[in-house]
Amino acid sequence: MTGTQGGFRQAQAWLHTWCGLWFSWLLFAVFLTGTLAVFDDPITHWMTPEHHAEEAAEAARAASKAAPTADRAQRLAWGLAYMAEHHPGARMWELWPSDAGGGGELNVYWFDANNQYVSAALDPATGRPLAAQAAHAARATLGGHHFVDFHYELHAGTVGLWIVGIAAMAMLVALVSGVITHKRIFKDFFTFRPKKGQRSWLDAHNAVAVLTLPFQFMIAYTGIVISGTTFMPAGKVLHYGTGHDAQAQFASELGDGAKPARTGRAMAVPALEPFAARGQQLTGQAVRAVVIDHPGDAGARIGVYGWNSEDESARRLSGTTGMALFSAASGEVQRVRMPGAADGGTALLAQSAMSGLHMVSYGGWGMKWLYFLCGLAGTAMMGSGAVLFIVKRRHKHLDEFGGATARVYRLVEALNVAAIAGLAVACVGYLWANRLVPVGVDRRASVELYVFFSLWGLSLLHAFLRRPAQAWREQLGALAALCLLLPVLNVLTTGDHLPAQLLRGDWESAGVELGAVAFGLAALGALRHLRRSAA
Amino acid sequence: MNARFPSIPAGLLLLGRVAAAVFGGYALAAAAAVFFAAVLPAGRAEAVIGGMQLSFVVYTAAVIWAFSPVSLLRVWLGLLLPAMVLAGWGWALRGVPGGVGA
Repeated sequence: MTGTQGGFRQAQAWLHTWCGLWFSWLLFAVFLTGTLAVFDDPITHWMTPEHHAEEAAEAARAASKAAPTADRAQRLAWGLAYMAEHHPGARMWELWPSDAGGGGELNVYWFDANNQYVSAALDPATGRPLAAQAAHAARATLGGHHFVDFHYELHAGTVGLWIVGIAAMAMLVALVSGVITHKRIFKDFFTFRPKKGQRSWLDAHNAVAVLTLPFQFMIAYTGIVISGTTFMPAGKVLHYGTGHDAQAQFASELGDGAKPARTGRAMAVPALEPFAARGQQLTGQAVRAVVIDHPGDAGARIGVYGWNSEDESARRLSGTTGMALFSAASGEVQRVRMPGAADGGTALLAQSAMSGLHMVSYGGWGMKWLYFLCGLAGTAMMGSGAVLFIVKRRHKHLDEFGGATARVYRLVEALNVAAIAGLAVACVGYLWANRLVPVGVDRRASVELYVFFSLWGLSLLHAFLRRPAQAWREQLGALAALCLLLPVLNVLTTGDHLPAQLLRGDWESAGVELGAVAFGLAALGALRHLRRSAA
Repeated sequence: MNARFPSIPAGLLLLGRVAAAVFGGYALAAAAAVFFAAVLPAGRAEAVIGGMQLSFVVYTAAVIWAFSPVSLLRVWLGLLLPAMVLAGWGWALRGVPGGVGA
């Protein structure tokens, strides 16, 4: 490294180049899928066409209130009776009586003997348990959640979480060192020299990065901190030790304070409606859930949790809901948490707000679109950085790896194609798989995932077999075709199409298809640019 | 930086610096997390979370500093000595409820 002799800025430039390069491919994948994850619900909606009719019927029922169901008091009584009869030994009962408007489903949850969190649905008109919904004609799919899961743990559990966490740390380092490297950060922002090869790539890389710099810092830092106790357990280990009990103690001090102790004296759970009504009055929110700790014991505690209305969610960074805790025996109020407040002090409120900031649970659709655009800018920052690295070296061999330099450059070229164009092909290919894999196939949701990963792997193989310029052209061509033909595929497989979606006001489906077309046009544009510059 | 160790190849020095940034930086960040968990004026769990949040800022700064024109030996010492002080301080205070600020 020459940087140590050449001053701080040169050392930072070295750090930015290499830290940026080696993590840019993974970060590109995390950013593209994370950006798509902003719209995970609309993507899931598009990927489950069998549910469209059900959803429409549900909305119509809610609007007309044609099928009257029981009120909250009755629903809570039914839920309580069901739990007392079927699961008297569970250490926690959780009843979700209704939606915020008093209608909707009646669900109950508890921890079974294996400490698994399980649920049952009761008929909101009769209180009788509903038969478990068979996975009938609906297609099994992870839907948009695939993008959520992939962008923070790569479908690889804790190992994936660590890999993404390390990449996010590398991103923070690359951002700081990048800012230090750029002497003229403000001027750079107004500089774009198109059709100048390497200079254009540098200008583009600077422009998208500087324009959205606060967003990029925020999204990397909050992403790390959300899982921060996993990455940085030192403080927790020192104060609580390791193991299951230590974790449980830490979680309970973080969560709802010390859990009540069992007294050993039996006491039936009292009627819940008076508690629900008082909880609603204390927090000002309609009742979402009633939770009973140690049911059947005199030490039981009853917690009443509220619904955040859409309006409240839009205004608050912290997504916590209202909560009121009562002693079941005396009816005395033990704690009240107002909506949006945290259970503890500053650090926990910051933790909750950072979750909200990262997952854009606030601000409504406008904010989601802003995140989507900033996320695309971040994706472009990773991609342009990786391309810039190699464009710079096409003109001037820098000989960083001695005799192996040419082979390393070839590796970088291939990884660039597969990481950028190949991943995008895999993402839209995942949507194609959703329409083409037969509905009845075994482990269908996994098959869709196999298609995603296989396409990505094939794109890497292809990038090694073809010359870089050919590989770019062919993969961008495939991307454009798959994106632009996605609406056609939908017509052929389900009969649904854009005009019909717009007519029935199905903006989620229309948004997915219009988004795919926009990505397809962008790929076409990149393809044309490549042809021109090659000619 | 290799004026004092002319026999050490540049590649090895670079590896040592990357290791200092990654592992030395993590050690300092973890020590800072332990220290803040002991002294932040809040409940125990709360202070642990606060220390964790701050530790990643420390980590980032440590990596950046590791790549400044400072000799490799000074980088290692500059990361590990404060780490030992902070960790020892936090460890000594761990039994004090709520830390010194409570």
